[in-house]
Amino acid sequence: MSRRSDLLRYLGARLALVPLMLWLIASLVFLLLRVAPGDPIDAILGPKAPAAARAALRAQLGLDQPLPVQYGHFLADLLHGNLGVSQASKEPVLTIIQGSLPASLELGLVALLIAAVLGLAVGFSGIARPEGRIDLAGRLFGIGTYALPPFWAAMVVQLVFAVWLGWLPVGGRLPATVLPPEGTGFFLLDSLRAGNLQQLQGALRHLVLPASTLGLLLSGIFTNALRLNLRRALGSDYVEAARSRGLSETRVVLRHALPNALLPVLTITGITVASLIGGALLIEVTYSWPGIAARLQEAIAQRDYPLVQGIVVVVAALVVLVTVAVDLLVALLDPRVRF
Amino acid sequence: MGAHTGPQGLPSTSSAAWGLGALPFCLALLAPLSACAPPRPEGTLIVAGKSRIDSLDPVQASRSGQMQVLSALGDPLYAIRADGTIEPRLASGPPVLSADGLTARIPLRRSVHFHDGTPFDAAAMVFSLQRFLAIGTLGYQLADRVKSVRASGSHEITLELKAPFSPLTRLLSAIFLTPVSPTAYRQHTTKPLNDRFVGTGPYRLSFFNAQQQRLTPFAHYWGQQPANRGINLVTLGNSTALLGALRSGEVDVLLASGLEIDHQQALHRDAAAGRLREGSGPPLSIGFLSLLTDQPPLNSSTLREALARSLDRATISRRVSLGMRPPLRQLIPPSLMGSDPGAWPAYDPSAARSLFRKAGYCNGRVLRLPLTFRSDIPSDRLLALTWQAQVRRDLGDCLALQVSGMESTTAYDQLGKGALSLFFYDWIGDYPDAENFLVPLLGCSKEQGNRCAEGNSALSGSFWSAPGLEAELQRSSRLEGPARQQLLQAIQRRTAAAVPYLPVWLMAEQAWSGPRISPPRFDGSGRLRLDQLHRLPAVPAGSAHRAVAVGVGQRPVAALAGGGGVAAPPAPARLSPALPPGALPAGAPHPSASQPHR
Repeated sequence: MSRRSDLLRYLGARLALVPLMLWLIASLVFLLLRVAPGDPIDAILGPKAPAAARAALRAQLGLDQPLPVQYGHFLADLLHGNLGVSQASKEPVLTIIQGSLPASLELGLVALLIAAVLGLAVGFSGIARPEGRIDLAGRLFGIGTYALPPFWAAMVVQLVFAVWLGWLPVGGRLPATVLPPEGTGFFLLDSLRAGNLQQLQGALRHLVLPASTLGLLLSGIFTNALRLNLRRALGSDYVEAARSRGLSETRVVLRHALPNALLPVLTITGITVASLIGGALLIEVTYSWPGIAARLQEAIAQRDYPLVQGIVVVVAALVVLVTVAVDLLVALLDPRVRF
Repeated sequence: MGAHTGPQGLPSTSSAAWGLGALPFCLALLAPLSACAPPRPEGTLIVAGKSRIDSLDPVQASRSGQMQVLSALGDPLYAIRADGTIEPRLASGPPVLSADGLTARIPLRRSVHFHDGTPFDAAAMVFSLQRFLAIGTLGYQLADRVKSVRASGSHEITLELKAPFSPLTRLLSAIFLTPVSPTAYRQHTTKPLNDRFVGTGPYRLSFFNAQQQRLTPFAHYWGQQPANRGINLVTLGNSTALLGALRSGEVDVLLASGLEIDHQQALHRDAAAGRLREGSGPPLSIGFLSLLTDQPPLNSSTLREALARSLDRATISRRVSLGMRPPLRQLIPPSLMGSDPGAWPAYDPSAARSLFRKAGYCNGRVLRLPLTFRSDIPSDRLLALTWQAQVRRDLGDCLALQVSGMESTTAYDQLGKGALSLFFYDWIGDYPDAENFLVPLLGCSKEQGNRCAEGNSALSGSFWSAPGLEAELQRSSRLEGPARQQLLQAIQRRTAAAVPYLPVWLMAEQAWSGPRISPPRFDGSGRLRLDQLHRLPAVPAGSAHRAVAVGVGQRPVAALAGGGGVAAPPAPARLSPALPPGALPAGAPHPSASQPHR
């Protein structure tokens, strides 16, 4: 009972901070965008539009108003759940986010699955002979994949598998000849729900390279985390105690050492998920993946203030929520955690 | 996992090693996926470009990618042919001007229908133009010249002009003025309709999102039916992906816009070797340097001329673009009226040295000049570095260029504030006319002697003007024929003498198609003719190579400099042999019954 109420109090305190964090982030982004050099009018009209046309557009976008007034409007809209309208495309920001975020999440989740399976398998493979050949190979794999420059790795994978071998498409989310499935924006899910095999195949083929590349790049984190924690756990007292009770080594590893070694990995997974919500910019750009990170990059280049603000606020909110959820999960699983 | 135990009682290495073997196993799984490529519908083509299309509403059009798609979906009142001449499209004849040149009556084509089946008439044209004037991103292009638009008959509109304007037909050739159906856009008179387009063009829009657009031939099109069964346009966000997509056959046609210069060179070589087909439009884009003329050191006309003599355009063109961007010594593209190919001083290092000496440099004193380029455009960086090296070689004791990059949007902002001494960028007019190159660079609304305090010249970073220049610019848009030609040339020479800008090179839209696709062809506005692309019939080995070689051989730099053209000999406007005439959509007119203007 006491632990449960502690947990609820902890959850309440964390959630109570969310609005404050979002306000701080939103205000900071609002301010930084206005301080940064560059004018949205130049991005929309080009540098040579007549002064009258520039002034008219500035007034139309509300950029001629004093900064505090603009800030007031922004906050008032935000409180009402209105993220505004993109200056460049005149589309509601929420609609744009709804179109881009599922793409990033789909890529991120599949990549995370690949990273976890690959990384944990490699991390686990060296425990038989610490400092042996396989352990050394696993270490090198962990360090190497972590250190690989994402842009370079993505381009090499793209060149080999898409351009030279021609096995898979170079980019995009679906073949040009296939229309996107309707629904949630998660194409794998939507095409499965619709029972459309062509859409499913197309979505899978387009997902394989970016997700594998991202998964490979992330797998090193899991490899290193599991390897280090497993070795630490295997040397701990409770493992020795289990061995002394005559349990088989397999049982010792799988039932006693591994679960404890996986707890820190869970935290790392949470952090990785949080980072993937904002998209993997270099992967999205290289593979022309229409995700939220690529959209944010374009919005920044166009100085599309409402779109940048909207994306940052939504992504920040999701990151905060995921972080809280992971913290709670760890607290639930690990009785040693105190609040 | 780990069911067997090893020597120390731990899971055996043989079973644990599967983790490391997982990678090649996963890679091996990729191969069968290649067999899952979806079939291509017969007769449809995939065209790739870098531009993301956020909106297909003409009022939102301002980028080349949008204009390209709109050119297939809509019709302008007039069109510019590849040879530079003008043909009426939705207009049925040239504008009839009043004696004072302030009123233009434009007769409209009859029996034209919008994609929603509603008829095109004067009311629809007036609706579209007024909507564009009210909310068009480029609305100022029309609003600066046109006072009012009204229907003067069921198929005739009348434009009241603010002043006589000789390039009116060229302005009306702009695709952003294409009419839209009043019925479809009734709810969008004050806001754009981004994801639909209902116009009169040869294709109708059957699917739209920012990365993919599907164009289907419009069965009731008034003109000639497209030579293909549809176009799928896709956006690939980076140059490597675009190049790879064409080489792997994933796409049929590739637009050059957004491709890095080395990738363009690679495709050019592929075309020369017969592996691809290449086509280029008229060169309507200029790359130039803007010189800040109202602040030291470049407020000295001697130094500006010295700089002009220091620029070895031929070397830069050859080194940076493999000659794909020919040297340019004027502000107006050569295919347009007012062209004066030798207006700017030619490269002459000894004359440059004399001028630097005259300004007090070279004798142990080096002029250190900051040169800014757009960091997000790779070819700009190459140009800046090449010119820096060329100057170091030729005039190292007189001039040192300090090269630095700046992101485009930031640079444009800084340019108008007079923060950049020497800046390289490019310009393409919204419609092909000399006025669209001179006014945006030289126009000045507040002139103070040789300084422009407010206006386009200030926004363009030179802040240069000259007494009476603005009046001459305005007069040039009222004149026609040889009188206009002479005045435009005089303006160019006057500007060249003051060197507020340094034209560097000329650029043209380009496209490449696969070996089984017809060569890309462009219209006079620089838009790829999507309606003319088609698959070629299979030919015996060897003959395809010869056919390509002919096409490529006709796309030399000289063709660009001389007014553009098409790489390949014009394919007859007909259906692809792979597309039987019976396969035309129902209701489509027979090709032989098409309008004569194409």
